[in-house]
Amino acid sequence: MSIPPVILLDGDATSPPEVLGHKGHGIDMMRRNGLPVPPAFCITAEVGARFRAEPAATIEAIWDEVLDAMRTLEAATSRTFGRGSHPLLVSVRSGAAVSMPGMMDTLLDLGFSDSVEKALAVQGTTGFARDTRRRFTDWYQRIVGGPAPDDPYLQLRTAIEAVFASWDSPRAVAYRSHHGLDDRGGTAVVVQAMVFGNINTNSGAGVVFSRNPMTGANEEFGEWLPGGQGDDVVSGTVDVQPIAGLRTRQPAVYDELVSAARTLERLAADVQEIEFTIQDGTLWLLQTRAAKRSAQAAVRLALQLRNDGLIDEAEALRRVAPAHVEALLQPSLQPENRLSAKLLATGLPAGPGVASGRAYTEVDAAIDAADRGEDVILVRHHTSPDDIHGMLVARGIVTETGGATSHAAVVSRELGRAAVVGCGSGVTESLAGKLVTVDGNAGEVRDGILRLSAWSEDNTPELRELADIARRVSPLRAHTRGDYPQLTRHSEAAVRTAMASGHSDVVSASPLLAMLEAIRLNEVS
Amino acid sequence: MTELTVLQAVRLKGRVGRADLAATLGQDPNDCGAVVDQLVGSGLLIDGKALRVSPDGRAHLEELLTSERRQIDSAALSTAYGEFRAVNAEFKALVTDWQLKDGQPNTHQDPDYDAAVLARLDGVHHRVTPIVAAAAAQLPRLNRYSAKLQAALDKVHAGETMWLSRPLIDSYHTVWFELHEELILAAGLTRESEAKSGHAQ
Repeated sequence: MSIPPVILLDGDATSPPEVLGHKGHGIDMMRRNGLPVPPAFCITAEVGARFRAEPAATIEAIWDEVLDAMRTLEAATSRTFGRGSHPLLVSVRSGAAVSMPGMMDTLLDLGFSDSVEKALAVQGTTGFARDTRRRFTDWYQRIVGGPAPDDPYLQLRTAIEAVFASWDSPRAVAYRSHHGLDDRGGTAVVVQAMVFGNINTNSGAGVVFSRNPMTGANEEFGEWLPGGQGDDVVSGTVDVQPIAGLRTRQPAVYDELVSAARTLERLAADVQEIEFTIQDGTLWLLQTRAAKRSAQAAVRLALQLRNDGLIDEAEALRRVAPAHVEALLQPSLQPENRLSAKLLATGLPAGPGVASGRAYTEVDAAIDAADRGEDVILVRHHTSPDDIHGMLVARGIVTETGGATSHAAVVSRELGRAAVVGCGSGVTESLAGKLVTVDGNAGEVRDGILRLSAWSEDNTPELRELADIARRVSPLRAHTRGDYPQLTRHSEAAVRTAMASGHSDVVSASPLLAMLEAIRLNEVS
Repeated sequence: MTELTVLQAVRLKGRVGRADLAATLGQDPNDCGAVVDQLVGSGLLIDGKALRVSPDGRAHLEELLTSERRQIDSAALSTAYGEFRAVNAEFKALVTDWQLKDGQPNTHQDPDYDAAVLARLDGVHHRVTPIVAAAAAQLPRLNRYSAKLQAALDKVHAGETMWLSRPLIDSYHTVWFELHEELILAAGLTRESEAKSGHAQ
């Protein structure tokens, strides 16, 4: 039986992520498990792939089914699209088989006309209706590239076309190439009834993680924006609040959210990152996916999930890539140190690396301080050509204005300096004279001198625990010492040779890395 | 070579040795030395490990630039600067693509990628050349930037790619950055206001 081009995500869509897209699959899974998710349908990734070859004919062929699915959303929400006293607005989101966060396009709040705005004003407030329409026209202008048409169905159709086309946007292509993802195929599109975090003060939007994805601590982590929509939270332009604020303000909603996060974590057997909206005191979940995590968190979470019985030993080892362990063995700013230091400024990461020192705002003073042997951080409103000598003596560079291609960013990268640019006005004044740490990877300036440190296979308890597990699972047991043949390197070739010559135990300087390699070789063969 | 050209060159470099100063001005070091000695003597330049402009020198330079600006057709210069802004964005995107590939530092192991980025430099040069000429029609000393951009471009073409963006030498980016500063000043703007409006990034 061929797969229909349009599929309702009502909990009974049995298709895999390759068809529904990662997002659509997650929505269907949440609905199947009785979680509060606004009604939605998806246009399959197969249609997305066909669209790339024949855009007009493809949309034409599925349009009647899209309209049928819209009727279903109307019935499920008791609202009407583009008309009536209770208008339905929808979001149109991209969703590839593999999650590509932020790489493709999404539009919110579709379905506007003058009469829709009036009806929304009656339901909410004039301000709410105006704010929501402004968001829509901004999104539409940016993504589709032209003023929004008055006809809501034309809005829907052009938005779906734009989201399909965003599969081929330069950043999506670059992302797939960088992550070795298949360029063939296309994206699915999810059309979902809107809920509004901006409707009143009893509302908001945010992102919650079932456990901390940076430190790996077993505690909820996240941020939200009271009275905001989801796009505000990810835009980085508004000050979001830690999720703990929601517990104080709306404890019942918070408890429901945390319980949903735990449920989703259990169902997926992995730490989840969940987008949510609260509309007038009611919680809605919009999407869930496996959380992106730091190397530290990858190890700690794998151990925790295994100890909690959510995954077995073999799976715990699969969750840790050799690259994670290699990163942990290099000196870096440990996430728990980073998060415990006060955040003084955020901007765009413009030069990779981490550097600490005293903040100087004048080039001559910076040069004098460096001559005295001080570690200098140069903080400037903007950079002029003659700032080069200050940048040269500085370990890190911070600017108030400027983007990732600014002169300051260009020169910082040439000099190999950690740099954060575009931190906003007032930063020069607020940082002057302070001891600070510039994190050019995260785009942050933190209070104090933060030391870099590395994990070691010998002394870090998490890595020792993981190595103990690996020795039970790996076809090749690697030890730090013992009367076994020596494995001088832990490369794929070296491990393969050791296994081929029938060794079951070896001594290695990096036992864990050697065993992760052996397990992988064993699984692919 | 005037007080203005020497003071302005030292100021744009921040700190500069005498030989490098003569080179960036395209002058014989001996001729240049006489003007420099005179400026040091009158306290406008400070001579140490390198030359730099004194606070008095900075004030004097501001006066010289202000009176220079009075002689020019500011509308023509504003037009030239407006055109520069567009090609400026293109050039800096090019340099960023040279430095970063897929968001990671470019290891320069992909010759096709590097060649494609460098190929864009000819287009940028082609676009900026008439802009510099138009600005130099008002301020003839800006002609020197055409020669310096061309010299850097020639070296990049000859395979010496450090002349694209390395600081402290008159690489294409260094010359460009100084030209940008000159145009901001000549158009009667400040880098601060330009940075705020997003143009001087």
